[in-house]
Amino acid sequence: MTAPALVLDGVTHAFGDRVALDGFTLTVAPGQVTALVGLNGAGKTTALRALTGRLRPGGGTVRVLGHEPSRLPPAVAARFGHVVGAPLVQPELTVVENLWCAALLHGLRRRRAAEAAHDTAERLGLAPWCDARARALSAGNHQRLGIACATLHRPAALVLDEPTSALDPQGVVVVRGLVRDLAAEGTAVLVSSHHLDEVARVAGEVVVLHAGRDVGRLEPGGDGTTDGTTGGTSIEQRFFAMVLEADTSSGTGDRPGTRTGGPA
Amino acid sequence: MSAAALAAALRIEGLRLRRSPVAVLAAVLLTALVPSASVGAVALARSPHAAAPTAAKLAPYAAGDLAATHLTVCAQVLGVAALVAGGFVVASVFGRELETGTAGALFALATPRAAIALARCVVVVLWLAACVVLTVLLTVAVSAVVATGGGSGASGAWREAGRAVVSGLLGVGLALPFGAVATVTRSRLATVGALLGVVALTQVVVLLGGGAWFPYAAPSLWAGLGGPAAAAAVGVPHLLLSATVGPAAVVVVVAAWHRLTDV
Repeated sequence: MTAPALVLDGVTHAFGDRVALDGFTLTVAPGQVTALVGLNGAGKTTALRALTGRLRPGGGTVRVLGHEPSRLPPAVAARFGHVVGAPLVQPELTVVENLWCAALLHGLRRRRAAEAAHDTAERLGLAPWCDARARALSAGNHQRLGIACATLHRPAALVLDEPTSALDPQGVVVVRGLVRDLAAEGTAVLVSSHHLDEVARVAGEVVVLHAGRDVGRLEPGGDGTTDGTTGGTSIEQRFFAMVLEADTSSGTGDRPGTRTGGPA
Repeated sequence: MSAAALAAALRIEGLRLRRSPVAVLAAVLLTALVPSASVGAVALARSPHAAAPTAAKLAPYAAGDLAATHLTVCAQVLGVAALVAGGFVVASVFGRELETGTAGALFALATPRAAIALARCVVVVLWLAACVVLTVLLTVAVSAVVATGGGSGASGAWREAGRAVVSGLLGVGLALPFGAVATVTRSRLATVGALLGVVALTQVVVLLGGGAWFPYAAPSLWAGLGGPAAAAAVGVPHLLLSATVGPAAVVVVVAAWHRLTDV
């Protein structure tokens, strides 16, 4: 059996009195696309920050390609990519310069970095803006550039936080295609998103995180459709039912800040 | 940290600094204002039309070899100007990404954060050192034009030019600790506040007579800003203490970026 590329095992973390992750466990195998969904404050970004080494959790084990993420050896880090929050984009540099810098930071040699920068700009539809400063880009193209910077070295493990939040429909299709291509090459992909229909299209597994805990799995397009509908129940309805059940069973449904509710 | 990682970081940080508005503005202000102020202050000191308070303030520049005096003023101004300009550049280079959250993207990369921080220190020092040398050369050039026909003690002028370069380079080194301040505070404004605080503190220390052993005061005092007696009190040990501040700050900044967390 192939070892998982991304591992969160019993991870706990709190910001003061507020519990962000409560024994959260998740693994993503090579070639697998897993989506992490949840309400605001559910703990998604905390989990992703722990995976990128930006935050050392209070407890539990975190591994990226078998290593502790805050101490990744350079050769291992060269096979990892991530966009969590602000991307690896410098506003004063042009699109192609940003890509070139990202390629160097990912460990590519100078000549290969220049080739990867131009190839990636073409692949993600950024070629028309190659010489534009990043600060002049629209929010959507800025997000595309961030994803391009995180993936131009074709990583073996990839973490993306809300990768399509600012994208137009064409951009969503481009990023979806990129994620599928990388997974086909064997990349383990973990995506956090609020767009339930979108994750249903791209992910093989949808994990619901609520109040820092894994409260279940959603079947993406379970009846073979690609719109996330199973037996006439949309993925959105199933998500809210799962969250409501978690609140009810833990007795937190009436607590301020944890009340949940779905569409009527 | 491998040589390849450091080389990559140097290429990237060199490009970023060349595109940084703060670094470009600092270079323009240093190379334009310091020569102008040096020549202008001496011209004012020797003008019969200068107001009495101004003439009194600039009295030390009213006599002596013209070119040497231009470069004496340059040395006195450049120590402080390089510190302030460098402080702004360092605040921007180390503080902006921590303030905006972009620093999070520098985690888990093949190029370690320690290499990136070291490369930033190196390119900032090279950039500001080049500005210091260019500023002194421009002052020499402007002085040569102004002093034409007025006679010049060449050896005295070149000695003062050397003093200006050393004073400016010491100012550059003294700016580097603000990279650590930016890393800890994660704020450019707080870093600039700390810079202004240190400049003010230096004035107080000098007023209290403890300047020679205070690293931020020694370069300017040595350049003559506190008068001939204060300048004579500053020796090689005092200047060496000032010179160690920069390398020590590099070690601290690199370690702080290596240990960075909760970004």
